Order: sequence, then C-alpha cells, then structure tokens
Amino acid sequence: MLRLLVSRVLAAIPLMLMVATLVFFLAQLNPVDPAATIMGDDADLESLAEKRAELGIDRPLVVQYWDWLNSAVVGDLGTNWFNGEEITTELRDRIPVTLSMVFGSLIVALAIGSAFGVLAALKAGRWPDRTITVASSLGLAVPNFWIGLVLAYYVGVKLQWLPAIWPTTRPDSLATWVEALILPCVALGISASAAIARQARSSMIGVLQRDYVRTALAKGLPVRRVVSRHAIRNAAIPVVTLAGFQTSALIGGSIFVEFVFNVPGLGRFGVDAILRQNMPALLGFVMVTAAVVVVVNIVLDLSYAWLNPKVRPE
Amino acid sequence: MSDALAGLGGSADAGELASPAPMPQESAAGATRSRFWARLRRNKVAMAGAVYLVLVVIAAIFAPLLTSHDETFATRFQDILFSPGEAGYVLGTDHVGRDILTRIFFGARYALIAGAEAVLVALVIGVPFGLAIGYFRGWADRIAMRFVEIVVAVPAVVMAMAIITGLGTGLTNAMLAIGLVFSMIITRLVRAEVFAAREEFYVDGARAAGASDRRVMWRHILPNVAPPLIVQTTLLFAQAVLAEAALSFLGIGADASQASWGRMLRDAELSIDRTIWPAIPPGIAIFLTVVAFNVFGDGLRDAFAREARGGRVGVGDVVPKERSAAAAPPWPSGSDDPLLSLRGLDIVFPKPGEGTDMTVVRDVNLDIGRGEVMALVGESGSGKTITGLSLMGLVPDPGQASAESIVLDGRELVGMDFNELRWIRGREIGIIFQEPSAALNPAYTVGRQVAEPLRVHLGMSKREARERAIELFAEVGIPDPHKRIDAFPHQFSGGMAQRVMIAMALSCEPKLLIADEPTTALDVTVQGQMLDLVGDLARSRGVSVLLITHDLGVVADLADRVAVMYAGEIVETGRLTDVFATPRHPYTEGLIAAIPRNEPRSGDLPTIPGVVPPPWEWPDRCHFADRCPYEAIECRRGPVELRQLGASLTRCERSHELELRGVQHASVVAIAGWEQPSDEPGSGGVMPGLPPGEGGPA
Ligand code: SF4
Repeated sequence: MLRLLVSRVLAAIPLMLMVATLVFFLAQLNPVDPAATIMGDDADLESLAEKRAELGIDRPLVVQYWDWLNSAVVGDLGTNWFNGEEITTELRDRIPVTLSMVFGSLIVALAIGSAFGVLAALKAGRWPDRTITVASSLGLAVPNFWIGLVLAYYVGVKLQWLPAIWPTTRPDSLATWVEALILPCVALGISASAAIARQARSSMIGVLQRDYVRTALAKGLPVRRVVSRHAIRNAAIPVVTLAGFQTSALIGGSIFVEFVFNVPGLGRFGVDAILRQNMPALLGFVMVTAAVVVVVNIVLDLSYAWLNPKVRPE
Repeated sequence: MSDALAGLGGSADAGELASPAPMPQESAAGATRSRFWARLRRNKVAMAGAVYLVLVVIAAIFAPLLTSHDETFATRFQDILFSPGEAGYVLGTDHVGRDILTRIFFGARYALIAGAEAVLVALVIGVPFGLAIGYFRGWADRIAMRFVEIVVAVPAVVMAMAIITGLGTGLTNAMLAIGLVFSMIITRLVRAEVFAAREEFYVDGARAAGASDRRVMWRHILPNVAPPLIVQTTLLFAQAVLAEAALSFLGIGADASQASWGRMLRDAELSIDRTIWPAIPPGIAIFLTVVAFNVFGDGLRDAFAREARGGRVGVGDVVPKERSAAAAPPWPSGSDDPLLSLRGLDIVFPKPGEGTDMTVVRDVNLDIGRGEVMALVGESGSGKTITGLSLMGLVPDPGQASAESIVLDGRELVGMDFNELRWIRGREIGIIFQEPSAALNPAYTVGRQVAEPLRVHLGMSKREARERAIELFAEVGIPDPHKRIDAFPHQFSGGMAQRVMIAMALSCEPKLLIADEPTTALDVTVQGQMLDLVGDLARSRGVSVLLITHDLGVVADLADRVAVMYAGEIVETGRLTDVFATPRHPYTEGLIAAIPRNEPRSGDLPTIPGVVPPPWEWPDRCHFADRCPYEAIECRRGPVELRQLGASLTRCERSHELELRGVQHASVVAIAGWEQPSDEPGSGGVMPGLPPGEGGPA
C-alpha cells in the first residue's frame, strides 16, 4: 500500500509540472497588456513601462516562467498584481471554503446517489427504478447556478430559512458555517447525485448478472447478504471512478455556485483573475485546483486497491 | 450543471464512457440500420427530445419573425419587470424592460451556435487526432495520452477558463475553449475504439497482408467508431449548451448585447431582490434543451446497443402446477426411493422483444437415486442448465418455472419461497458452475467464500469455518491449503478455482451435487482429473450427482444413468450402459458419434448439422425433425410422447424400427488425453469406424 502511495505521488510531480507549464504559456497568448488593465486607459507609456518592469513582465517569457516555477515549488505563488497580496495567503483563506463545499456535496451525493442507484437496480424495470431514472436524468440537466438562484430566492429571501448569501463577516461558529454551506451544497450536489445514481444503477445491474452473484445465491445466502457482501463491493469500483471525475466536476461547478451565493472561495478568485488578466492569481488558482484533483485521484487509487484485489500490489 | 462542467473534463458521463454500449458487429448491414431506426422510433422519450430540439431550431432560425420586440433594447423603458401576460408581454419583461420571450427565442440561437461551435472544434481536433494515435500507437500514443492526462488533471471549467484567459473573453472564444477541452474526450473515445477494432481485427485472424492492411483497418474502424461518436457528440452538445450558459452567467461568455440564456440569468440576478421571475424562463429553456439532447443521446445509444437485459436479484422459485388432464404415463422410477424426483417441470421465458411467452423446458421428469450419478446431456440451448438451476429455485429472472412436484429426500420443494429454499441451497444441494473463475467473487479471498456457507448454514464461528475450509481444500487436492486459503480468485488457475468451487459446494455435506458443465471451461489436461475428483468425492460421501454436460464423453466413466435433452424436452433416458450400447433416439446416436476425440472442439456437433433452434421455432411435432437424418412422414403427425423401448424411454416415432449405432463399452470413449482412473483401466473396445487406438485410453 505504501509503495503504491509513493509511486502515485512520484507520478503526480511531473504531471503537476506539466500542468503548470501548459497553463503558464496558454495564459500568455493574450495580447492585452496587463499593465494597461491595471493602470487604466489614460496611463501614459512611461508609467506603463514602469508598471511592466515592476510586475516583471518586461522580461523574456522563459525567464518569467523559470522565476515563477522556482518560487512556486517552495509554495510562493507570487504577488497579486492588483492588490499586492501574497497569492498563497489569499488562496489559503479560500481553499477551506471551497473544499468544504465540494466535499460536503460529494459525500452527500455519494450517499444519496449510491442508495438510489442500488435501489433502482434492485427494482429494475419497476416503478422505483423508473422514477429514479427519470429524476436522475433531470438532475443531470439542471444548471447548478440556476438552482442556486431559485433556492436563494425561495429558501433564502422568501422563507428566510437559510442565508441566501454568504455572511459578510467570517462565520464564527460551526453552526453558522454549516448553515451558510447548506444551500450552496444542495445546488452543487444535485447533478453529482444524479450522475452517481446512474452509475450505481448500471454497475449494480451489471454485477447482479455476474456468475459470482449466482454462486452466492446458490450457497443459500439471504438476498440482503448477497447484495451487501457480494454485489455492492464490486459495483462500487466504477462508482469510485466516477467520484473522481465528480470531484473535479464539483470544483469546476463550485465556481458558479460561489458566484450565486457570493461565497469567498476559489471560484470567485479565479473568475476575477480571468476578467482582469491577473496572471499570478490565475496560475495559483489553476495549480491549487489541479493539486486537489491529483490528491483526490491518489486517494481513489488507494481505495481501488482495497475494493479490487487484482490491482493490489503483492 | 456542475456536471456540465464535469462534462468539460470528460466526466459528465464517465460511467457511460467507461462502459460503452455494445455495438452491433454488422453495423454496415442494411437490416441493422432499419432495426436501429425502428428501435429509435419506438423510444418515445428520445422522440420527444428530438421533437423539442426541432422546435428549438425553428425558434432559433425564425426568432426575428416570431416577435415584434427587440433582442437587446427595451421597447419602452418604463416596462420594467412586468409579470407574465402584463401589457402583452407573454413572459413579462426583465429589469430594463426587455421582452423575455423575445430574448428566449434569440437565446436559442446563441445556445445552438455556441453548442455547434464547441462540438465542431472538438470533432475537428479529436477525430483525426484519435485516429492517428490509434493508428500509430507506440510513442505517439504515449505522448498524446500524457497530454490528455495533463488537460484533464485540471477541472474542465478551470482549464477552459485558462484558455479563455489566453484567448480573451467573449462567446466565440469561450466556446473555442470548451471545444478544445471536449476534443480530449473525443480523442480518447476514438482512440479506444480504434484499439478495440484493431484487437478484434487481429484476433479474428482476418489480417490482410501488406498494403491492404491499412484499407481494411479503416473499413473496420469507421463503422465501429461512428455509433459511439454520434452518441457522444449528442451528449457533448448538451454539455456545451450548459457550458455556454454557465460562462455567460459569469460574464466571460456572451456579452451584454447578446441575449444568451446564461446572460439572461446573469441579468436576472440583478433584480433578484425584487423578483425571481426573469430567471425562470431562461433556466427552464436551458434545462429542457439539455434534457432533450441527453434523452436523445441516450436513445441513440440504446438503439445502437443490442437488446439490454434487465437485472434485479433475479431468481424465481418453482411454482406448483396442476397435473395436466391428458397425463403422460407415470414415469418409471429408476429406483424405489429416489433422492430427488422431479415431475412435470415447465419453464417459460418472455420472448425477446415481444410480450409473449416461450416455453424453454417442457414437461421434464427426472429421478436421481441415492448415491447415483445422473447425467443430463444436450447441446447448448437444450434447456439442461436451466433445468438444473430450477431444482434450487435459481431460474434467472424473468424466467418462470412451474412443476407438479420436486421431492428431495421426502420434502416437497415446489411452492417453497425464496427464504425456505435458502436452507436447501448450499446445504442440501450444492452446485458447481462452468466458469470457476467467474463464479468466484473477485473481491474476497477464496477462504472467506468457502467459509461463508459454513457460517450461514452450520452456524460455525469464524475460526471453525476457517479450519474446516482448510480441511476441505486439502480434500479437494489444493496444495498448501493453509496459504492458499488467503489467496484471491485471480491467483488461481481455472482447475484450482474449480477445486475451490467443489470445496464450497460440498462444504455443508449436501445430499445432491449439481455439476453444470464442470470441465468445459478448463484446460483439456485437467478435465479428467476434475471429473475423477467429483466422482471420488461423491462416491466416498454418498452424494448423488446431477452432471450436466453437452459432451457424452464426459459422462462415460462417471454416470450411472443418462437423460438426453433436446430443445426443452427429454428425448431419451435410461441406464448409461443401455443408452450407449443401444441408443433409442437419433439425437443420442448423434451425440455418441460426436464424442470428441483428438479433434479440436467446436460448438457444433460434427455429425448433426445445425444447432438447436431458438425456442420460438420449436415445432409442435418432433423437435428434432429438422436435423434428423431419419425423418419420415410419420414424424410430422404431432407431438411425440416418451415411450418405453427396451430398458430406456425415448421420444421418437420411429425408434422401434431404427437400427441406431452405439458403442459397446462406455468407458472406451473417454476423451483421448484424459487420464483414465487408475482403478478402472479402459477395457479394450474400439469405437466402430475409428482407427484402432484413437478411441482407447490415452
Ligand atoms: S420422430 Fe422422426 S424426426 Fe423425430 S427423431 Fe424420431 S425419426 Fe427423427
């Protein structure tokens, strides 16, 4: 297990490096001068040049890249061009917000999606299955920011049950924190639940047709044991794969939900960075999300090894 | 919608990507195509989606004609936030007084154009790229896949945002970015299909030499790649529509002058403290459009795929059946006190694609004596396996079994429900299956699987069950049982896995062992050992055996009596020696002649051309007539009954006049290459018509 972990971590390093390289050069394609964006339209040429020198973007790209990479490796992602803050510090404040939203939704989606998916499989072709199948294909199509808007309006503004937007002061207790997270998590988690339910249903149906399930029945085991011991564990493997994709999807989706609920997470940070051509901020944002995805995938790889002895190293 | 943006990373339908629907082999055939359209048309949901999409296209094309209002400018500035219907605005107005309905129509334009742009970019890049790396493989593949891996390491929407930063914001750039990310999905899909096609191509041995290689490859690949590509394109279109809305909502897609649905939602947010209404129509428009693309894509997938099987924990008990009025003569029992006695078993399945039932097993009777080995023989499709499963109440869903009675050791099994039968399954009746590696659960050690019935049925503790499992392993000849017990099924060879199955089946000392083609999937060299093992264990424990096989050769050494099944009916039954020496049914004669010797085996019997027809083609008269070399006019009169002839029962109109060829000594026909049991040396007889030695023991 440890060897698997080490090898996966080692494989992740070049991957992260290449992500960094790709994104760094991609973002430079834009011909717009960041200095002009920062200084406004009426800045004169001299002060623009000064600003460029200050930001270090008058140097050759390769030098900029090397510089950035060198500090990024030790955790320094540079300085925000617009407010002069350390990007690393800014991100550190925002990561917990986004991650608690993402993992909150993921855990709930896994629980709900798996339960309904398994139920649908066990009742394949009958009404619970049909209902769940229809609900999940609708759930996949709902834009999360739209559901967010609707929830914010009805539950937040009209009914006043839960905050419609993130509290302006930092949530000071766990209760306010959880309260503020509920609506964003629901908006974010609907499509993940639907996707997981679909996957759980189809892999469960596949597993129930396998010979070893027949063997388990032939041993005289009760249905509950056949399902819970022999079927679910094998059916879980594709669901775990999907959960990996979904984590990535939820991080992406959180950008929109954060926008709706005014959540001070990574997403807003990233959108601001794009709109203002804020290179260091954008790079930091991309690297952090990539790192989260990579870590989640390593965890999932380890859980495969537990679920599927075939991939377990001897 | 997070899913949309999941989709950007190839994740929305990861499940479906991971397990592509089976595609028809002969996809070029016209018949397949017409069946495809028929299946698609029958799918009402997919058709509804298609109709809705046509409406969206119409709205998009004729948007300016459908309304008198302007897309971007308010008609009158004071018309702010009208409710639906007010002052002639069907869907009301937004926060600056623009007609919402008009903007919905124009929004359809942006949605479709944006979707088309993204999908087109994805196809134009992904298809050639995927074909090329699938074709060149090797280093090209490694580099390309590495690149794909980098792109999908970042959440799709984040990658799209990085690209947008490089390209600049705006609808066209945003969709270009989305298209670039999507192209990774297309690349992977096409590459995987090319690899699959290659595999199939080479495995088929159809590889043409030299120059034609490439041409054949393309002809092989394109039909394979098209169906999943069409399905994926449809689903990506849905994702692109969502992505357009999402990015426009953030303000990095459509700009303020473009009435995109996402942009409308962004505007609606500005007045959300007053009313939610302006957000409702665009949200529903996005939602419906995405649903329509998705259901249409799913419909395409289903139409391409062949008949899907349902699957709940599908096993049925045997329900009681009334004895039919025109009762057949009572079955002459093999022994006075049989262990198992089955009467009047019928099994029906729904006919594929139609609601009607078809009978796959009809009026089967069977007696198995105590300590006796009974062979049930027939080709695949004869109904022998399902007959065996029905004895344990394991007829797979949606099959339905009914019988007059199944008496096991004095107990009536017919009418027992699932939970009553549980105490029969594994405890009174053990079973081993054809594919030992598939029959064992890959996720658990073999030890746990063998111990499981001991714990459930005999209430053993974990330790006791483990000890007993080790003993059982030793008894079935697994070397090193202490160590092997903690191994996983994939660490066993087929033969060893079958020994595990035997240990499991015998663990609770059942009275009856059902062995369903126990050697068919195994290597020829271990087949004999495996049969000997089953025979020895059964004899030493006094267990009766129902040995199900398509190969009479397998039963020659082992069985006491034989029942031959063809097309759902027992056509001949009797003592093994009688059946072998004087077969009374032409089908039995064919099976005897077909006993494999040194020839490589194939599915068809060498002496009887054809295969068992599907159940819905079984005639009312003799089921075997179409393949029978002795068919005559009297065979066409109607159903044939089982009759006594000599010491056997047979279902043939002409059996009394036919001189069918058998073999004198059953044991001589054992397959060459098998080890003969040491205590039972093959007696010298030779099959008629065979060169000396070939039919004898190896
Ligand atoms: S009834 Fe006629 S067709 Fe059928 S097996 Fe006998 S001889 Fe052949």
